[in-house]
Amino acid sequence: MYPGIQRSPWQIQRDVIRALLIREMKTRFGKWRLGYAWVLLEPAMHILLLAAIFSFTGAEFYPGIPTMLFMLGGIAPFIVFSNCFSKGVAAVESNRGLFNYRQLRPFDAVLSRVLLEFAIYLFSLVVLLGILAWFGISARFNDFLLLVVINLLFFGFCLGISLTMCVMGTKFPEASKFAPMIVRPLYFISGVFFSLEQVPEEYHGYLSWNPLLHMIELTREGLFASYHGMFANLPYLATSSLVMLAFGLLVYRSQWRDLVRSQ
Amino acid sequence: MIELRNLTKSFRTPAGRKVLFRDVNAFFPEGKNIGILGRNGAGKTTLLRIMGGIDYPDSGRVITDQRISWPMGLSGGFQGSMTGRENAAFVCGLHGIWGSAKRKVLDRVQDFAEIGDYFDAPVKSYSSGMRSRLAFGLSIAVDFDYYLVDEVMSVGDAHFKHKCEQVIEEKRKSANFIIVAHSMPTLKKNCDVGLYLGPSGLQIFDTVDEAIRLYQQGLPKPAQNSPAQP
Repeated sequence: MYPGIQRSPWQIQRDVIRALLIREMKTRFGKWRLGYAWVLLEPAMHILLLAAIFSFTGAEFYPGIPTMLFMLGGIAPFIVFSNCFSKGVAAVESNRGLFNYRQLRPFDAVLSRVLLEFAIYLFSLVVLLGILAWFGISARFNDFLLLVVINLLFFGFCLGISLTMCVMGTKFPEASKFAPMIVRPLYFISGVFFSLEQVPEEYHGYLSWNPLLHMIELTREGLFASYHGMFANLPYLATSSLVMLAFGLLVYRSQWRDLVRSQ
Repeated sequence: MIELRNLTKSFRTPAGRKVLFRDVNAFFPEGKNIGILGRNGAGKTTLLRIMGGIDYPDSGRVITDQRISWPMGLSGGFQGSMTGRENAAFVCGLHGIWGSAKRKVLDRVQDFAEIGDYFDAPVKSYSSGMRSRLAFGLSIAVDFDYYLVDEVMSVGDAHFKHKCEQVIEEKRKSANFIIVAHSMPTLKKNCDVGLYLGPSGLQIFDTVDEAIRLYQQGLPKPAQNSPAQP
């Protein structure tokens, strides 16, 4: 069988991404009992654990929104970010064997992982919202268009971060030691379990530099009608996402041969 | 057609950079089988991989309009938790082979590899011989203009070896090979053009015999005194 005679670059890219996505799905979930159910169970367990802890601490976190939903809106985007970040660092090392196929370069490995991460995130978000609503935990839905826009931007942001970390992690293997050190504090300052308006005003200036915080605030605003992300700034999220994406693409473009080249 | 243009490659060593070859220019017309010779560590595999577009030179380019395979019999890209079939399907996908064409290729792989039901078992449960059978079968089942062969014509047991030789003989009618080997008979039998990677860089010969002669000149004295063919 001849490999598809004279494929165009786009066709090659599409074939490679498609093959990688199938492979990622199989390796990530195929080996476990319950298989693909883990797509849902993974974030669900995380959210339930957090929600359980915070439900014990007392009353509603945010007036008009059940704690469970509040946490879901914060933690789901954060898991995506954290996975893209840490998988990016290891993207080259863990796929070395695959670069023996000339059409598969680190970019494809990173892009397919970010795509898969997003697909899982969106799917599990919708299903979890559905399940919670079935149990009677629901809030009035707000703005679908806003969600589409911010998730497109967030995708660019994650791809940019992942590409940057892919280059960093390969050029400086020590980066894999620092990666968790960067992600963990972000968990506490990105508004995963608080809203910016609950923080004293004097800290807003510092916290609002973090694009992730804006993403989380905007996600909640898009999901829940009674949420007012009054400090969330869409233009800021858009700018920082596009800058991050451009930066990631540039760094990758200038360095990609070195990632695969024998030194 | 494969053209090497101003190709330079060096490696970092503790004692500074070691240049494998510098400013190599060469043109190989279609239908030439290329043999690469040299001592261990001379950069044969690196040159092979650069020609195949897998590795990159420090400077210069490889220009080609041919479909070049991955190194034949390579099993490094296999994912242990996936079955042989799934791994083979993945490689087919990379090369744009889907649907019924893919099933045909998979049948060919299964036929050739002779690993029976293990084809649907996770690759991590394979013995190393089975692994290379699968890898070799996969290389054979996807058609290319040029195949890269890196000293792997000798995998598996005698029976399988014989089968490989037959298949390569068959393939030679429709495809070409770039071969790295230390076995002179293999090179003599399969190659037209010889590349010798020596201390003074890369030398290119129109016949593989000249390259072999130069390579054997570099052998230590005792070998020269008793001119037994290896």
